Amino acid sequence: MIELQNVTLRYGDRQILDGISLAIEDSKIKAVLGPSGVGKSTILKLILGLLKPNNGRILIDGVDITSMKESQLYPIRKKMGIVFQGNALFDSLTISENLGFFLRENEKLSEDEIEERVREQIEFASLEGYEDSLPEDLSGGMKKRVAIGRALIFRPGMILFDEPTAGLDPVSSKKILGLIGSLRKKSGLGAVLVTHIIDDVFQVADSVAVLYKGKIIFDDDTEKLHDSNHPFIQSILSDKILEQ
Amino acid sequence: MSTSFSGTLADNANRSLKEFFLMMQEFFFFSIRAFITIPKLRRYWRDFLDQAKIAGTDSLPIVLVSSISIGALLAVEVGNLLEDFGAKTMLGRSTALSIIRELGPLLMGLMLSARYGSRNGAELGAMKISEQIDALRAFGTDPIAKLVMPRLTAALVVFVPLTAIADFSGLYSAALIAEHYHKIDPGIFWNAVFPRLVLKDFVVGFLKAPVFAVIITLVSSFNGFIATGGTAGVGRSTIKGIVVSSGLLLIANFYVSKLVLENM
Ligand SMILES: Nc1ncnc2c1ncn2[C@@H]1O[C@H](COP(=O)(O)OP(=O)(O)O)[C@@H](O)[C@H]1O
Ligand SMILES: [Mg+2]
Repeated sequence: MIELQNVTLRYGDRQILDGISLAIEDSKIKAVLGPSGVGKSTILKLILGLLKPNNGRILIDGVDITSMKESQLYPIRKKMGIVFQGNALFDSLTISENLGFFLRENEKLSEDEIEERVREQIEFASLEGYEDSLPEDLSGGMKKRVAIGRALIFRPGMILFDEPTAGLDPVSSKKILGLIGSLRKKSGLGAVLVTHIIDDVFQVADSVAVLYKGKIIFDDDTEKLHDSNHPFIQSILSDKILEQ
Repeated sequence: MSTSFSGTLADNANRSLKEFFLMMQEFFFFSIRAFITIPKLRRYWRDFLDQAKIAGTDSLPIVLVSSISIGALLAVEVGNLLEDFGAKTMLGRSTALSIIRELGPLLMGLMLSARYGSRNGAELGAMKISEQIDALRAFGTDPIAKLVMPRLTAALVVFVPLTAIADFSGLYSAALIAEHYHKIDPGIFWNAVFPRLVLKDFVVGFLKAPVFAVIITLVSSFNGFIATGGTAGVGRSTIKGIVVSSGLLLIANFYVSKLVLENM
């Protein structure tokens, strides 16, 4: 369970989030929908404790992480995996090395166990034959699957996706969304999915929060989005893609 | 009208001053962290070796070229000057002093600021804007221990021998110029070098190597770490890293010389 309580965030004197509250349940897929630059990636960074809010609290499984030190945050972060918008793979490491990197860094596992887990992820992401390739040799969809594999390899309970379909062609997008849906079905993995593409929301999300001008203007089951009469939501329902 | 305008100016000045001090504070903690993670060196041994190669062997050509040319230049000019006073036999001593105390370390420092510093700034800046540094933190790795500490220790280790190489190659090229251009016997040249140098001269020169290593690595890495604003932002932060570290280098060079020469 992830909770944001009255969270305010400023970069310098620019207010991005204005006292927002949000609850994300385990084993559910929650979307955060909003136009570019509204603060969606910022929310994910707050959840991981990569950023500190100016006001308000962030709780992970009931534990307040707001004033935790970096070293205290590491065990909390292990409960969650994150897939960055640009994947953030290490470009000098091969696909296998990218997948195993953080296991080697931060877990006390035997080399055999690590290789076994890497093999699992290669299989899961259908990347057989690309183990020794570099990220630059892969297509956008494949890189995204490596990034997802890198997050899953820790066996987290929750996974955070930053615009997982941005920049992908429609076929790859569908594949990635299918993957996210199947993870929840198969292993009960919860997810936070931030996106500016409303189709992503309708395809996989159980519930959705709409972020607009620093505030949450809607937070309910996905189907109820159609019942909202907020002008911004009306406009995105007719336009499908949000650009400001 | 005019009061509100100057009011805004003062406001802005206030804000940028505040931002400057906040950044200095951040830089301070960043630097402390780079030093206190040195015990993790064994874990990041591979990164250390990579960086030692980049700072050391890969930088050797540019260090050699610059020190050889400056040694030769110095010998030509100082030789001509000394000839006017009939003191050509002093050439060895005067070139040795300026190379070992000042020019050897300074040139090496400036070359490494351009080479090693720019590489650090650009590489870490690219990692920052592609969220790789966030990824390290998100998955439990301290990015300063993994990325900055190996760069710092590598520079600390290799800058000393690089200084020695710069000194020696500069002196050697000066000796060649002395022999072939000024027709000074090599024995006379070298005799005016080694027996006359004192410990203090080496302390001045070699103390600069670790000081420069710290300045170059920390300033360039920090600028990479705070890069924002896409590719152009990486360019800006890389340039800033080089300009600031070269400036600090020149200042540090002066103060190390002054402090050691006055106190030893
Ligand atoms: N480190 C930062 N410093 C200053 N401004 C930032 C920083 N990160 C993001 N911003 C700004 O904050 C706003 C929200 O950013 P972000 O959370 O990345 O938006 P989104 O992911 O919704 O597109 C943007 O306008 C962005 O330019
Ligand atoms: Mg974003």
